[in-house]
Amino acid sequence: MTERIKEIKEYQWEKRHHKARQPLPETLCYRDPGLSDTLRSALRTKQALDAEQPFLFPGEYIAFTRTLPNLPFLYDEGEWADITSTHFIHESGNVSNLSPDYEAVLQHGLLYFRERLGDGELHKATRITIDALLSLTARYAAAAREAGDEELATVLDRVPAQGARTFREALQSLRILHYAMWCEGDYHNTLGRFDQYMMPYLADDLQAGRETEESALELVEAFFLACNRDSDLYPGMQQGDNGQSMVLGGMTRDGADGYNLLTGLCLDACGELMLIDPKINLRVNKNTPLWVYEKGTRLTRLGLGFPQYQNDDVVIPGLVRLGYAEGDARDYAVAACWEFIIPGKGMEIPNIGALPFANIVDEAIRFDLKDCTDMQALKEKVRQRIFDSVAAAMAERKNLYIIPSPFLSLFFEGCMDSGRDISLGCRYNNWGLHGTGLAPAADMLAAVEQKVFEEGLPVDTLLAALEADFVGYEELHESLKYHSPKMGNDEDRVDALACWLLESFAEAVSGHKNERGGILRAGTGSAMYYIFHANELGATADGREAGVPLPANYAPSLNIRLNGPVSLIKSFTKPDLEKTINGGPLTVEFSDRVFAQEESITKVAQLVQLFVLRGGHQIQLNTVNRERLLDAQRHPEKYRNLIVRVWGWSGYFVELDKCYQDHIIQRTQLNV
Amino acid sequence: MYEKETGVVFDIKEFAVFDGPGIRTTVFLKGCPLRCRWCHNPEGLSPAPQLMVSRAACTRCGACEKVCPSPGACILCGACIPQCRSGLRKIAGTRMGAAELADRLKKDADIYGATGGGVTFSGGEPLLQWSFLREVIRLLPGIHTAVETSGYASDEVFRECMDICGLVMLDWKVSDPALHRAYTGVDQLPILRHARMLAEGDTPFILRMPIIPGVNDNPEHFRFAARLVEGAKSLVRVDLLPYQRAAGAKYEMVGRMYDPGFDEDRVPCFFPEEFESRGIPFQRF
Repeated sequence: MTERIKEIKEYQWEKRHHKARQPLPETLCYRDPGLSDTLRSALRTKQALDAEQPFLFPGEYIAFTRTLPNLPFLYDEGEWADITSTHFIHESGNVSNLSPDYEAVLQHGLLYFRERLGDGELHKATRITIDALLSLTARYAAAAREAGDEELATVLDRVPAQGARTFREALQSLRILHYAMWCEGDYHNTLGRFDQYMMPYLADDLQAGRETEESALELVEAFFLACNRDSDLYPGMQQGDNGQSMVLGGMTRDGADGYNLLTGLCLDACGELMLIDPKINLRVNKNTPLWVYEKGTRLTRLGLGFPQYQNDDVVIPGLVRLGYAEGDARDYAVAACWEFIIPGKGMEIPNIGALPFANIVDEAIRFDLKDCTDMQALKEKVRQRIFDSVAAAMAERKNLYIIPSPFLSLFFEGCMDSGRDISLGCRYNNWGLHGTGLAPAADMLAAVEQKVFEEGLPVDTLLAALEADFVGYEELHESLKYHSPKMGNDEDRVDALACWLLESFAEAVSGHKNERGGILRAGTGSAMYYIFHANELGATADGREAGVPLPANYAPSLNIRLNGPVSLIKSFTKPDLEKTINGGPLTVEFSDRVFAQEESITKVAQLVQLFVLRGGHQIQLNTVNRERLLDAQRHPEKYRNLIVRVWGWSGYFVELDKCYQDHIIQRTQLNV
Repeated sequence: MYEKETGVVFDIKEFAVFDGPGIRTTVFLKGCPLRCRWCHNPEGLSPAPQLMVSRAACTRCGACEKVCPSPGACILCGACIPQCRSGLRKIAGTRMGAAELADRLKKDADIYGATGGGVTFSGGEPLLQWSFLREVIRLLPGIHTAVETSGYASDEVFRECMDICGLVMLDWKVSDPALHRAYTGVDQLPILRHARMLAEGDTPFILRMPIIPGVNDNPEHFRFAARLVEGAKSLVRVDLLPYQRAAGAKYEMVGRMYDPGFDEDRVPCFFPEEFESRGIPFQRF
């Protein structure tokens, strides 16, 4: 890391730029009932951008820092109440979790697009945002010039008004465009396939001798630092859940291998910076060499919780099977957490809800089991409940309203041509459901199969034990918890039930159409539902006591005995994951002791490669030290920089709510 | 199925990253003739299955005692185990047939093969159950096998082990014979003989040296070990394993007292120059 980068990092780590933060403006010029929501949104963006004051770090490289920390809401309370009473609102109501296509805007510049705008509502609105952004950029250029930084001023004179010619210009342009999306109220703004759309600029610079690999690394680091500068302003469910994800490597649209020099530089930059953003997703396939996994594993060892790996060999055919065009499927990016989305073409909501596997199976056991004469009958009941749950989720999600985003619309196919804001849809309008608690659900079914249908345990006894949270039923508890098969131990009978649950989920979503003509996708992620859904459960038939959380994402149950990582990977690669390709990784926790020797890098990398070769779709590894986490709960002041992976994102441990901290401590660690 | 060869196993650990090359599984065989003062696997000492109780977290609720059919003389019935709400009780050691164990290990043969890994047998002292172990290895054709041993066995057993294992990891604990007896409870001579057999033989081997503060963290011990393996063509490397402070954690669980007889808190000294100067590859943990 160069001195210049160290200095910028130190400055922002000490939050010294926070002193420039201003209070919210008092007059909200856009809340005029006579304005369309699209114009309102543009005027709000304009007000936010106009209020911004240039702030330059010492040694500034990639500029633009938020000084207006918050955006006032678009509507007043009464207006919003009217809208919500007749519409389904996803999360906060803003456009979120998309992968914009930055390529064209980086290449041509904003003025090129501005010239092509007409007088329609969306075009007017987009023009307002472009003008406000270019005006702010001009003020930044003036500030840089005043500070004597002619180099930065020259870059800002050029971009994003015009197309970038160099790697630095492209990075600066990207920073400004990304920044403006946040100022529009859009959130979970992902960075997409950064190494693909940026590499041409770097290649030209290297060719022309304007940059070296070392100077390029410094630039990448400066850009990554900028991503962390304001990330405290963008909390999702928790601090750190900000969606600033990036995808590296993977197959290009025309089928070539996309791993390039910039891919490696990005991985190196993350290792040097040790910060939570951007969250790295690495695309791999059966031909990915071991050294790529080793490079990723070096980041895992640092405890960053990324890279998260996605397997092109499963994801691409899975998306094609759902109806995505082959080229688009090859171009997939990863949303804020793990959902697969298409850059510049998708207005998808891959996290519109979650199928609660564990709760569904638990209900079937509590209410249906006594009428079931065999396992097949119970499975029929479970299957019916899965179909009902999916249908109910769809029935609730009607008449969707999303706040318009005229600036973001610039980055999506067809929006400008048709004059339709991105919030109204794009080429792909699919929705996705997570699937929480798969492993506990399979474990419950396996326990019932073994204890009730094979060993003759009376259903009443089982239900009474669950009701009593196993108090007075200690032997049964032991037998359910430790002597019935668990997903993750490579036992076919329980793994087959998990496969069947996923198949049923895929069949249940199949055929559903949302009101925008999109389909419904089934997934293996959990988001925060692993806490929510667990709170709705009492004790369960897998021996899980009431109050114990569900596993996050696609992972084994908590507090069980696991054979180890090999069995884990074998179990979790048995399902046909192409069919449940909304996203959601196998999460593996390692004790940091695993990495006591350098050769463990290779072994962990081999393990990840095995998962990929065996048909796993997505995997993410954590390195944790339980004692350090416990100590960090007691002495948070000593652990400000301790990074952990929560569900689909990395954050600072001490900034999490306690229930999320406790879950991380409780996840079964694979020790050596 | 009736199995002639059976053995007592106290753990099977997947992805044992420090027990040899590639992705491998380590099987811990129960029972050891040595009594090393620093042993961190006290449940591996006795050859028989035994009840382990984690007493530190015990709330003395008495639920275990209520169901015990044989107070004061455990018959390993296991009745008390589910009664403990805190899950503090378990039985260490399961008797397994050779074919049963081999089948469990063969399940992952493709993964061992793909990563240059295999199976490692540790303990306890794995050679103490040699006829069982030999049978297990015979049932694992094509799988790389390694043994982690104290070297305390008959020459005949050790020779057989060298002949059928892909890698031998031999502990070299204390170079001074009198101190060896004092700290491990056994005579050093057979171990020294076996170290020399390895140094002169063709079986790849790793010499593993636990470095215990005040016991063997002296230049003489490092020099002796270095000379022992100097020029050995089948030596993979020497592993230097500093004493872990947590070694005593499991003693009270098996009803033993941990009495190391050395200063646990002192950081041990290393003399890697003894290996460096002789061009002997080594790895420090």
